[in-house]
Amino acid sequence: MLWTVLPMQALEGLVNHLMHLDPETPARLQKLNGRRVRVSLKELGKPFTVTVTETGLVLSWIDDGSVDCHIVTELAVLPELRDSANITRLIKADKLDIEGDPMLAQQLSKLLSDLDIDWPEQLSQRIGDVPAQVLVNAFERGRARLKTFQTDSQQWLGDVLVEEKQVLAAREQFIQFQNDLQALRAQLDKLERHLQEQRN
Amino acid sequence: MKDSKSDTIDFGYKQVAKNEKQSLVANVFNSVAQKYDIMNDVMSFGIHRIWKRYTIDCSGVRTGMKVLDIAGGTGDLTAQFSRRVGPTGEVVLADINQAMLDVGRDKLRNKGIVGNVDYVQANAEDLPFEDERFDIITIAFGLRNVTDKQKALESMFRVLKPGGRLLVLEFSKPVPPMLSQAYDFYSFNVLPKMGQLVAGDAESYQYLAESIRMHPDQDTLKSMMEQAGYERVTYDNLTGGIVALHRGFKF
Repeated sequence: MLWTVLPMQALEGLVNHLMHLDPETPARLQKLNGRRVRVSLKELGKPFTVTVTETGLVLSWIDDGSVDCHIVTELAVLPELRDSANITRLIKADKLDIEGDPMLAQQLSKLLSDLDIDWPEQLSQRIGDVPAQVLVNAFERGRARLKTFQTDSQQWLGDVLVEEKQVLAAREQFIQFQNDLQALRAQLDKLERHLQEQRN
Repeated sequence: MKDSKSDTIDFGYKQVAKNEKQSLVANVFNSVAQKYDIMNDVMSFGIHRIWKRYTIDCSGVRTGMKVLDIAGGTGDLTAQFSRRVGPTGEVVLADINQAMLDVGRDKLRNKGIVGNVDYVQANAEDLPFEDERFDIITIAFGLRNVTDKQKALESMFRVLKPGGRLLVLEFSKPVPPMLSQAYDFYSFNVLPKMGQLVAGDAESYQYLAESIRMHPDQDTLKSMMEQAGYERVTYDNLTGGIVALHRGFKF
């Protein structure tokens, strides 16, 4: 499994770099320092180990030493683990097995999800205050415009299909049509019965 | 490898007096110390970093442990161990060669790695540490240059704590025949030329290629470790056996 070393090192470098953009990270790492979590995913075969050190996370696919928490599960189950209410159900369904401290895994995922990176600040450190401000403003304006554009185009498409091209009916028209149909069917039934009576 | 009772020992393909090898190896490393890191990257295409990282991942290192990195040279392993043992742990970088130790010390200090690292000039055959001091001992690409390898393994055994482990990362015998041929061609034709070009020293790299061929193969080294007292000795061939990582425990 020598080949796993390079991608893991790259991922580790990226995660640690991102984590250290948040000034709160050292304090959070300190709380979990030395704790180790292993995740075995059935699809991947070999387990994956995360060790917390004072300076960041260490990721390894080779490390087979003892850990504080070992999670055995499947790839598809991972998103469900976010909600702790699901854990008991998953364990009962044999889709999840946790050995050791179950809180640790949640604390570790919180370490990443609580990450609060001040992007404008990071940008200004790299390219200077004014260009960063211009870029951030442009980005915010762009995002607002995109949102307006989305709402506008949805509205426009609806109008085109209903009013102009008349491919789709408006909701009121559809209800009216349903009611008319109902009435017509009732009339038809009545007429049929009437005819039947005449014939007899 | 020679019988330990004989008076001569291999230095690459040459036979030299036992008491001469140490100074000859010292000459080699004095000559390459300054360019050691860049040559490692050039010669191994950077793969030596992966081998070293693999070794660390196999070491079972934890916060607070005491680690001895023998023949640690320019401190690649020490740097990573230092990060992992934290301020409560200790890493000792030992090398017989003062020039290599100086390069290592400067490099680590420039990286901001201070506080839990000590530097000791030491001969692996006769380590200047008290018994049972270290949790982990590593020797990466160093054992091959030691005059009496068996004595060095025994000396490491003495300073290792019970429950501790030794990791030997060293060039070995490539297993696939095709790889072996390509590797031989590379070692004797390309490597010395690259040494000449980058470090201005073809001879040292000729020695490197020869010393690799004279180093015991995977199974021989395994039995040497067992003879020194290590238990549960295993090895992993890395990159087809060009390098092997041997692991042994002291119980």
